[in-house]
Amino acid sequence: MGATHSSSEEVRELEGKTGFSSDQIEQLHRRFKHLSGDQPTIRKENFNNIPDLELNPIRSKIVRAFFDNRNLRKGLSGLADEINFEDFLTIMSYFRPIDTTMDEERVQLCRKEKLRFLFHMYDSDSDGRITLEEYRNVVEELLSGNPHIEKESARSIADGAMMEAASVCMGRMEPDQVYEGITFDDFLKIWQGIDIETKMHVRFLNMETIALCH
Amino acid sequence: MDSAELAGKIVYTWLTLVLGFILLPSAFGVSLGISELYMKILVKTLEWATLRIEKGVSKESVLKSSASVGIIQRDESPMEKGLSGLRGRDFELSDVFYFSKKGLQAIVEDEVTQRFSSEELVSWNLLTRTNVNFQYISPKLTMVWVLGVIVRYCVLLPLRVTLAFIGISFLVIGTTLVGQLPESSLKNQLSELVHLTCCRICVRALSGTIHYHNKQYRPQKGGICVANHTSPIDVLILTTDGCYAMVGQVHGGLMGIIQRAMVKACPHVWFERSEMKDRHLVTKRLREHIADKKKLPILIFPEGTCINNTSVMMFKKGSFEIGGTIYPVAIKYNPQFGDAFWNSSKYNMVSYLLRMMTSWAIVCDVWYMPPMTREEGEDAVQFANRVKSAIAIQGGLTELPWDGGLKRAKVKDTFKEEQQKNYSKMIVGNGSLNLELD
Repeated sequence: MGATHSSSEEVRELEGKTGFSSDQIEQLHRRFKHLSGDQPTIRKENFNNIPDLELNPIRSKIVRAFFDNRNLRKGLSGLADEINFEDFLTIMSYFRPIDTTMDEERVQLCRKEKLRFLFHMYDSDSDGRITLEEYRNVVEELLSGNPHIEKESARSIADGAMMEAASVCMGRMEPDQVYEGITFDDFLKIWQGIDIETKMHVRFLNMETIALCH
Repeated sequence: MDSAELAGKIVYTWLTLVLGFILLPSAFGVSLGISELYMKILVKTLEWATLRIEKGVSKESVLKSSASVGIIQRDESPMEKGLSGLRGRDFELSDVFYFSKKGLQAIVEDEVTQRFSSEELVSWNLLTRTNVNFQYISPKLTMVWVLGVIVRYCVLLPLRVTLAFIGISFLVIGTTLVGQLPESSLKNQLSELVHLTCCRICVRALSGTIHYHNKQYRPQKGGICVANHTSPIDVLILTTDGCYAMVGQVHGGLMGIIQRAMVKACPHVWFERSEMKDRHLVTKRLREHIADKKKLPILIFPEGTCINNTSVMMFKKGSFEIGGTIYPVAIKYNPQFGDAFWNSSKYNMVSYLLRMMTSWAIVCDVWYMPPMTREEGEDAVQFANRVKSAIAIQGGLTELPWDGGLKRAKVKDTFKEEQQKNYSKMIVGNGSLNLELD
């Protein structure tokens, strides 16, 4: 995209692909330029300047999610080196609220997309399963700041949670049956019937409805 | 008359006018009402311009609102509330939801970095530099804008530069002269007179209109005056209404000359760069200064850096450890007439001053507040936060717990660890485990 008031054709195309309005796209473009330092692409290092983000325990996973080829719909594994504005918007669109006026099928599709985004955050080696190791990794990251918690405790928490997931997905297991890991379908099963709406969306304001005070 | 004589006569008339209408009245603290008239005309013009823009815009039915409203509705719910609801056990996959949402909010819009760039205006004030969202409306408006440019650059700028020059020279010469006198109350009075006159001249040099509120709480001798920081002009604005002792680093160049001259007339506290690093030394010297009740109140800006006047950032606790009475002062600029914020990474001092002198005017409000002292059982950090809240409320600014040093540095690791500690406390409950294994 070129100048601030970029060609409306490109904007319309992005509107169609991602579902954001043209004003929102313009605002996000300004934010993109600010983060990238006026370059056309963003690299991982550009996310280092956001103080609010530094506080987040799973910061590295969030940043990684922006470059994950599966989220960018560019492949089944691996990380991109840099992303352009369209990719930026694609990732943002995972967090748009689900439009409940759509028909049931589309709502389910959106829900699935959001859950898939989260699944990718856990499944770091892109093998389609969340193994015990990967689960432990996430728990450790979340708890890493507390000096009172030893690695053992973090492991036990992960093990316990994994056991519960196994019981939900596999029912009763034979004594020597090994639970390989949570697949995406199992993941969906865990969340069946639970409303994840308020947890996984960011409400983007519709710019036109904000009026100037006279 | 040949051209040299003509030029000489013009300069002579110019200087006499300046002397008569501006310098003498400011020496006596008297106002001739010229600036008030100028401000009235300016306000009327800007109102007219705003109406024209709104009429023009509504024809195209596109309303671009100010960016300070923000693009997302932030979910500020605390961690406990955000994580509850879906959890049946101590740790759930859903906890990652909360943190990824928070992370995305931070990426889209963060509270801190937007404070280090100028505030965006709701309606255009006919300066090109604030023209971010507004397009061409009508020929009349463009003509007024062109007229504005001519007035600002050809009439106001030379006038202001002359005044600034005269003001600074007078300050340097005056304080050097006063510094020759022996210590006496006469010396103090004269030095006050010199300071006040020069500051008034410099304020006229920026077409400053300042409203002081609650003058009864003006800082007294032996106290510490604390204010929010937006630009180097803050100093000028405060010293126009009273004399203060400055605290700061010794600079070279023009600033150095001014500093050395000022310290001859009355005691300021200037530190060498190496001394600034030694916090105990700094605290000691400041304590000695306020212990002497005859010395002027110290002026300190605890934020440590310039913020864009929409919010107040973390107050560094160093100034609050010295003891003594703190006199808080809130300064709020009106951005419609000129943006006073100094973005030191974008502009150096000279271009900043030029921008100041080619704005319409600097309009601001100064509120003096009742003095505060540290209470029993309150440590320096809590006291600093208390003063910060008071200043933020008075000035109508938002309050942020972040450190202004983030302009240049990264978040300290201790901050990061705080958040993680909170989360892990929730799950594990301070060291004890509440797991139920099947």
